[in-house]
Amino acid sequence: MRRPEGKGRGVVILLALAFLLLSFFLCVALGATSISFSEVLQYLGSGSASDDPSGTIFWQIRLPRVLLAFIVGACLSVAGCVLQGLLLNPLTDPYVTGVSSGAALGAAIGIVTHIAIVPWLPVLALIGGMLTLVVVYSFSRRHGQVNIFVLLLAGVTVSQLLSAVIAVLMLKAGRDVHQLLYWLLGSFSGRSWTEVQIALASIPFLVVPFFFAKELNIMLQGEQRALELGVDVERVKKVLLVVAAVLTAIAVSVSGIIGFIGLVMPHLARLVIGPDHRKVLALSMVFGAAIMALSDLAARTIIAPSELPVGVVTTFFGAPLFVYLLRSKRGPRW
Amino acid sequence: MVTGDGPHIDVEAVRFSYPEHPVLREVSIAIGRGDFLGIVGPNGSGKSTLLRVIDGLLRPESGRVLLDRRPVLEHSRRELARAVALVPQHFSLDFDFTVQEVVEMGHYCRQEGDARACAAAAMETLGIGALAERLFPHLSGGEKQMVILAQALAQQPDVLLLDEPVSALDVAHQLEFFDCLRRLNADGMTIACVLHDLNLALHYCRTLLMLSDGRAAAYGPVAEVLVPDTIDAVYGVHAHVHHHAGRSFLTFSPRLRAERRERVHLVCGGGTGAALMRDLYQLGFAVSAGAVNALDSDEITGRDLGVPMAVEAPFTVLSEEVHRENLELIDRAHVVILTDVPIGTGNLRNLDAVRHALKRGAAVWVVTDLPSRDFTGGRADLDLPGARQFDSVADMVAELRERAASGRPPGLA
Repeated sequence: MRRPEGKGRGVVILLALAFLLLSFFLCVALGATSISFSEVLQYLGSGSASDDPSGTIFWQIRLPRVLLAFIVGACLSVAGCVLQGLLLNPLTDPYVTGVSSGAALGAAIGIVTHIAIVPWLPVLALIGGMLTLVVVYSFSRRHGQVNIFVLLLAGVTVSQLLSAVIAVLMLKAGRDVHQLLYWLLGSFSGRSWTEVQIALASIPFLVVPFFFAKELNIMLQGEQRALELGVDVERVKKVLLVVAAVLTAIAVSVSGIIGFIGLVMPHLARLVIGPDHRKVLALSMVFGAAIMALSDLAARTIIAPSELPVGVVTTFFGAPLFVYLLRSKRGPRW
Repeated sequence: MVTGDGPHIDVEAVRFSYPEHPVLREVSIAIGRGDFLGIVGPNGSGKSTLLRVIDGLLRPESGRVLLDRRPVLEHSRRELARAVALVPQHFSLDFDFTVQEVVEMGHYCRQEGDARACAAAAMETLGIGALAERLFPHLSGGEKQMVILAQALAQQPDVLLLDEPVSALDVAHQLEFFDCLRRLNADGMTIACVLHDLNLALHYCRTLLMLSDGRAAAYGPVAEVLVPDTIDAVYGVHAHVHHHAGRSFLTFSPRLRAERRERVHLVCGGGTGAALMRDLYQLGFAVSAGAVNALDSDEITGRDLGVPMAVEAPFTVLSEEVHRENLELIDRAHVVILTDVPIGTGNLRNLDAVRHALKRGAAVWVVTDLPSRDFTGGRADLDLPGARQFDSVADMVAELRERAASGRPPGLA
């Protein structure tokens, strides 16, 4: 089987967008209270000034939750895609930089000290993530160059260290341990427009990697070869590492640590459309958004009226999918 | 753009070290526009490093490289990639890009212009247009190397730097690759190529830099650099120059040095002694030979190896004078070997020379059945009393090898 070319490629993008649209309708329609497709269209058309209970559920609960899942899924997928490309490592996910652990620690502190009133929890998480980025990044910089493997090692090390601190906090958390656990496993439960507004800050960072798609392609030949071909490798690395870290921090700050999306979506996209980052970035973003929203749908319906952490769902389907991809003949070419 | 016709690339007194390990100890060369420069030298002599310094990828610790009179390190990577393209020694890309896409990556530094058309033109130049839609990882080694060259051409550079571009290719692909380079060079491309194969260097390069331990051991027109003395000094091997169909070829053998005092004299000719000369040298014997005609294959080999010989002019009956020279060589020999050289009127005197050795009491070894090699029509005196008969030259070598191993002097019959 060959990868889609020309027209085939256009069809793939259209199908992906249709998939995204379908997931949107499914996710806003299904749940404890069902909303029909026609109602959804009606609510969307009439704006937010709706009095009936279904309308309120749609506007105040479902829509922000789905949009947040879309944005977080897109952020994690794009960050994973960028980092896999930069590190030339198929096992890279957005959390290798340690930023997620920093964000988690920020949130954990917020939860156990009870200053965790919206929007302070995400803000604390964001601060934790950014501080970690600064530490890891400065570790890996020497003579004005970023050593990407040192960065990886520093990220993993800092991540472990912070996880240990979080573990201590969990032991001391008492009644809060449940909330903390949900946060560490990732969840969209109870999220509102406030989180969506925070997450919208990611949009410029989602766009930036597309301007570096050519450079990312060339860097798949190795940093040395990219230099030879005229790529300003250091600049590309600096910009994209920061972008990926910010995307991760934003995603984690509003939803917790949701596994496997950032790892698997880029592989899935590459499998469908080939290695060209101009397309891989777009397709991982769409896949990430749609599959994150569908995972959240599963998380809140499978054991209704209770909710699973969405990270549990993504891991449940993500792990077998990843193993399948690794074993399949057309598997990821790394 | 450059004005005037000064050198295109000036490498001025460049030194480069890795920590505690000097690689380039002051190299200066000037690469002219349109030159085809080969860079050769033993492993670790600094060839690849020099290429990387020229391309601004490594910063020399002293000295500088000028591209059209401007230091390369003042160029941005992008500017440099537009002027100089490097074809690396190792290259890996394990992603399913098509050849077209891989070649287009070369166009990155250009920013403006049609990448697709530029890549197509580069592939056309190299005759690999048919590969365009193939997936790069599925190509053979030879095809990949052509694609990388095409990628470099898509940079539309003035200078191509190549780092051992054909070391992994079979002979046919090596020649195909270098024929491409020659065509590019004929169209005005300046080329500097690191290579190991001195014969490729001899046939394709115009100028040659031979590096040895980070210094230029020789630098100049290729025919002046690739001479046996220089090759011996740099590589420590003996080089032999052969001429065939109007071209020169080099072959190499381990440096030969007589370590033993025993001398073996070969009465040979017509190629019957060439292999024996090498074998004897390798066993450590001193060798002399005669009398032979100039341009006889034994004479060429002997000259190559520096064997003292009594040599007559080509196609000429051995003169009294050359015969006497031959006797002098024989007088210093411990063993005299008469190979299975045919005896004709021209070299009849060589039988007298062998008899002279017998008379002096030297050990004389003869390949058996001498009458079958007599083409003098009965004029030759084939009687060699006291000579030891061997079935073949190979048996003699076996005997000498045994003696060399046991330390017995070969002169004892």
